[in-house]
Amino acid sequence: MTSQTIIDPPEDGHFRNGKASNGASPTTLSIHLTINGRDHALDIEPRVTLLDALRERLHLTGTKKGCDQGQCGACTVHVEGERVLACLTLAAQVEGRSITTIEGLADEDGTLHAVQAAFLEQDAFQCGYCTPGQIMSAVACIREGHAGSDEEIREYMAGNLCRCGAYPHIVAAVRQAARELRS
Amino acid sequence: MRDFSYLRADSVEAARNAAALPGAMLLAGGTTLIDLAKCGVAEPATVIDISHIEGLNAIDVTADRAVIGALAKMSHVADNAEVKSHFPAVSEALWQAASAQLRNMATIGGNLMQRTRCPYFRDPQNFPVCNKREPGSGCSAIGGVTRGHAVLGTSEACIATYPGDLAIALVAFDAEVDLGERKLKVEDFFLAPGATAEREHDIRPGEMITAIEIPGSAAARRSTYLKVRDRQSYEFAAASAAVGLELEGDGRTIRDIRVAVGGVATKPWRARAVEEALKGKPLDEASVRKASELVMEGAVDHGANRYKIALAPRVIARAILKLGETA
Amino acid sequence: MTVHDMKHAGSDSARLEAVGGRLSRVDGPAKITGAAHYAFEQQLEGLTHAVLVGATIAAGKVTGIDTRAAETAPGVLAVLTPDTIMELNSASDWFGRQPSEETYCPLVREVTFSGQHVAAVVAETFEQAVAAAALVKVSYDEMPAIVDLSDGSDGIPVDAMTKEWGDAEAAFAEAPVRVCAAYNTPREFQAAMEPHGLIARWEGDQLTIWEPSQWLDGMARTYAEWFGVPFQNVRLVSPYIGGGFGSKALALAHSAVAAAAAKMLGRPVKLVLNRPQNFTSYGGRAATRQTVAIGADKAGRIQSIVHRGVNETAVDGMWVEPLGSVTSIMYATPNFSSKQNVVRVNTVVPGAKRAPGENPSAFGIECAIDELAHELGIDPLEMRLINYAEQDPHAKKAWSTRQLREAFAAGAEAFGWAKRSREPRSMRDGHQLIGWGVAAGTYPVRRAYGEAVVKLLADGSVEVESSSIDMGQGTYTILAQTAAETLGVPVEKVSVRLGDSHFARAGVTGGSRLAGVMTGAVYKAAGQALDELIGLALSDPRSPFHGLQANTLQVKGGRIASPRGDGPEFSIAELMRALGREKIEAKGDTVPASFTPEQRYNNYTTIAMALPHTEGDYSRHSWCAHFVEVRVDEDFGTVRVSRVVSALDSGRLYNPKLAESQWKGGIIMGIGQALLEEGIVDRRHGRIVNGNLADYMLPTNADIPDIRTISVGIPDPHSSALGGKGVGELGIVGVAPAIANAVFHATGKRVRDLPITLEKLI
Repeated sequence: MTSQTIIDPPEDGHFRNGKASNGASPTTLSIHLTINGRDHALDIEPRVTLLDALRERLHLTGTKKGCDQGQCGACTVHVEGERVLACLTLAAQVEGRSITTIEGLADEDGTLHAVQAAFLEQDAFQCGYCTPGQIMSAVACIREGHAGSDEEIREYMAGNLCRCGAYPHIVAAVRQAARELRS
Repeated sequence: MRDFSYLRADSVEAARNAAALPGAMLLAGGTTLIDLAKCGVAEPATVIDISHIEGLNAIDVTADRAVIGALAKMSHVADNAEVKSHFPAVSEALWQAASAQLRNMATIGGNLMQRTRCPYFRDPQNFPVCNKREPGSGCSAIGGVTRGHAVLGTSEACIATYPGDLAIALVAFDAEVDLGERKLKVEDFFLAPGATAEREHDIRPGEMITAIEIPGSAAARRSTYLKVRDRQSYEFAAASAAVGLELEGDGRTIRDIRVAVGGVATKPWRARAVEEALKGKPLDEASVRKASELVMEGAVDHGANRYKIALAPRVIARAILKLGETA
Repeated sequence: MTVHDMKHAGSDSARLEAVGGRLSRVDGPAKITGAAHYAFEQQLEGLTHAVLVGATIAAGKVTGIDTRAAETAPGVLAVLTPDTIMELNSASDWFGRQPSEETYCPLVREVTFSGQHVAAVVAETFEQAVAAAALVKVSYDEMPAIVDLSDGSDGIPVDAMTKEWGDAEAAFAEAPVRVCAAYNTPREFQAAMEPHGLIARWEGDQLTIWEPSQWLDGMARTYAEWFGVPFQNVRLVSPYIGGGFGSKALALAHSAVAAAAAKMLGRPVKLVLNRPQNFTSYGGRAATRQTVAIGADKAGRIQSIVHRGVNETAVDGMWVEPLGSVTSIMYATPNFSSKQNVVRVNTVVPGAKRAPGENPSAFGIECAIDELAHELGIDPLEMRLINYAEQDPHAKKAWSTRQLREAFAAGAEAFGWAKRSREPRSMRDGHQLIGWGVAAGTYPVRRAYGEAVVKLLADGSVEVESSSIDMGQGTYTILAQTAAETLGVPVEKVSVRLGDSHFARAGVTGGSRLAGVMTGAVYKAAGQALDELIGLALSDPRSPFHGLQANTLQVKGGRIASPRGDGPEFSIAELMRALGREKIEAKGDTVPASFTPEQRYNNYTTIAMALPHTEGDYSRHSWCAHFVEVRVDEDFGTVRVSRVVSALDSGRLYNPKLAESQWKGGIIMGIGQALLEEGIVDRRHGRIVNGNLADYMLPTNADIPDIRTISVGIPDPHSSALGGKGVGELGIVGVAPAIANAVFHATGKRVRDLPITLEKLI
């Protein structure tokens, strides 16, 4: 790693620095992330991904690291309500945006989201490692209106690999939850 | 991943200024830049986050033209009702690309800046030889595993396939890329490797894509994108075709036809020979299949990718015939 | 840490809770809420991060490692090389055989495969370690590598694999109808979604390892031997495993690096393989080649099978993928010969992947029998029934149970096989050629001994403890069901704790043996606890049942009473209170009483003590029949599986809901094997070039149709205490040949090299 200097913003002020925190290495940023409705302060390097910020800094390990290169979907979270991959998102990039992880999906009282309940009922997982990503993806899939048929569910859930092979049960769970959420 | 500075740009002008800094790279959706930074291919000294610039994500579509802001997400364009109606091939190319999550991240501008999936390009640790990364070092792919490599537009310097889908549809319909100071045909924006494999786009330091524009046409309205791959989804194309068709009043003579192919060439590949062979001719299966073969004029294979020479014309033909059926 | 809150599953009725009931996973709520902490997600004070540097050549010597840039990089605590990492003892292998070398260095000077670990960087943060690892410069003296099976000689004969009876070669030569072909399977990978990795922490000479593991006891033994500490000093913790499929049973070189780094630094170290390293740091399924020659009479009766197989193994390690395992038992034949060789290539030692041996073996014989059926004009299903093996043709023993005929019948009925047109290329839908294929599968019943602890607590709840693990098969759930049923308590009263090597020992989770072993052990332990409770209830003066004129008592729904129901009734908690007991604890095991402590230790920490499936009077196997429909695009050559019906005999199912999931998982992995999966080696570099999840393609949701599974099993008393046979491995066996046979039926093209990719069909 080579040491980098923060470049001074141009006079016109059209771009702004990541705010260097006092006393920290010059490339450390102090940021705030809003995760599951709560504010989290972090001092991190710019290169830290949202995934590693969640798992290694904030101890929110429900979001899984499967490939760390955008190829498996295990790290799916919602940013401003849309499903994205936390492994290809810089933590600094989503400051000021609302982030939802699997830990924030159920109600405060523990009542499961319809998709979670359907996954349990349909046995839509085995080892459980891809499952948080599948569930986050499924919630968004339904919200997007891409759960209209089994064929559509399969296509729009294709970005979440499952090596245990729970796919038919995932389709059944998404179908069931979509029906419940519509009614 | 090497450490870098992070700057957030509030405006296009600020982004352009920052992009001119040495070692600066623009960050939009992150699906290419962060991926390649992890691979060790991209080593930005400064990352300019342009994803918060306002006003660059508009999708403005009429029958005459589509203007799509550089920061519009692939998913939003794919699901846009006007895009679906006036430019179905564009929507289809988008929803068949990557995965729902990646399409929610990736922007239209970033999509055009996407890099090849050549496994040698993506692994500098194990394969230091690569003309795209190290000009003049050579090509690790030639003589290696070439099943996914290009058969069209290749050179002795590089046979890496252009991986995208959207740009295939864009070149078929004469879209332009707006770089602020200048506009370019998307077809000219992408560069074949020739002797300078490291140059993939006609873009200069300090330039930034702000929008793409697609002229409306009858062919664009009656268009489709057909993508063939090993896996049903979440995979790059083995061969794909963006096709648009306009018939004469008789319902069978071809007035206008647009054909471009993906997955087989080093850049988005317009198949003008196929178009010329079919214009003014009646739409029938035999002549469509015969004309589609013309796409492979000048094709060079490297063994394991020979199947693409047989496959791509069939993809084109099926796409044209499918459009013909949907009169 | 592994106690599962049952409130979300509490609505299941008593019928669902019993063994054989469709209870939802008891570990499910933790997994769907993100509350389940997998092994290397533990949060520890002072945790450091290690990243490995892999060899960029496949064969040769490391001539120098320049660590200067890495050492001065921010946050770096140590750069380990073969010269600086602490020396370890060699450990015994999984049979418990002593090593030939005295010492072991997990970082190498002599490279035998690309990606082999050469150095490691430990830093304060993951990002710093990754960046610094990229700065380590290794120089090599490269040697020519043997990259795959086609490079080597015929290989080394593995005499132990030879199976022969009759005069197979002569009978084949004389047979009126003959088929002979070669079948190849490529290098395949387990590709569990959770990567391999671990956290290692030393406290004095006590080592704790948090690592996804299919075998806590075996891995603990390896760590103990590496570091020369007593076995009891090593604690392996693995509460959840994000998929293993055979890959997570052994402590590997990267495990040793992390544990050594932790000892050297005096701080806990986390090391997780990145995805490409998961393709080079441990073995997938070896590439295989087989020739299968079948001679038959005109009526289709097999006269002879001649089988030759070869699999790749490593330059410095041995893996035998038993290729004649299905060939030798599936069909009755008077003459048989199977021999196998291995070829050494420059690869990491291949390893176990779902149904090692049986899977590729079935690809050979189940395609060959299809070819014979086509040659004779006999329906492929009929062909299999003509040659049905009424007993084990090799062991010459009766089957314990073999519901394969029932599987063929049930599967064919549900699939509509009778409507199949005989000729290839005779069914189509527009541009899609449709084909129907069938194949059978089997997997032996592997048996071993296990132990479990069952505790009845003062509040009436129950705890079950075992060092076994749940990687998705449903161990938590079926052990809760077993304890609940045996003790007569509601299942929500039962907490199952797994994944800690300090619990009662279980041995390896592999070869589909765990459910049979552990339900037996829990059944026994729970029975002992119940006996003790009832004994105390009747004999203890403080008991409300004391002096009752009864020989025994009965527990139902967590309440204890006389079987006639005419006396008093108390909850277990009330009884425990009356007895003044905090708990009743029973350790039950299925280990022979004659075992010495050393035999017991070897039973859990090696695989040497497992019982042969043909021990005694019976040959024990699970069986299945797959019926598959494929659609092949006639222009593009793309194959999509559009329908699967599988009928399976796994004996008694402890929980059909979970068993069906495992079967389907195996079938889906088989679809990947048939159509997508192949480790592609650059022959110039001896390196896998598609070692990632975009280029080594697993099936996506969009590749998988609805799958119907039908259970045709009956309880098999010879296979396990509760009558179950194996589930997890079985499903994949026979899927690839069923698909290949369907592709032949669709297209008339016989593809004998997996995977069946589009260029093989256009």
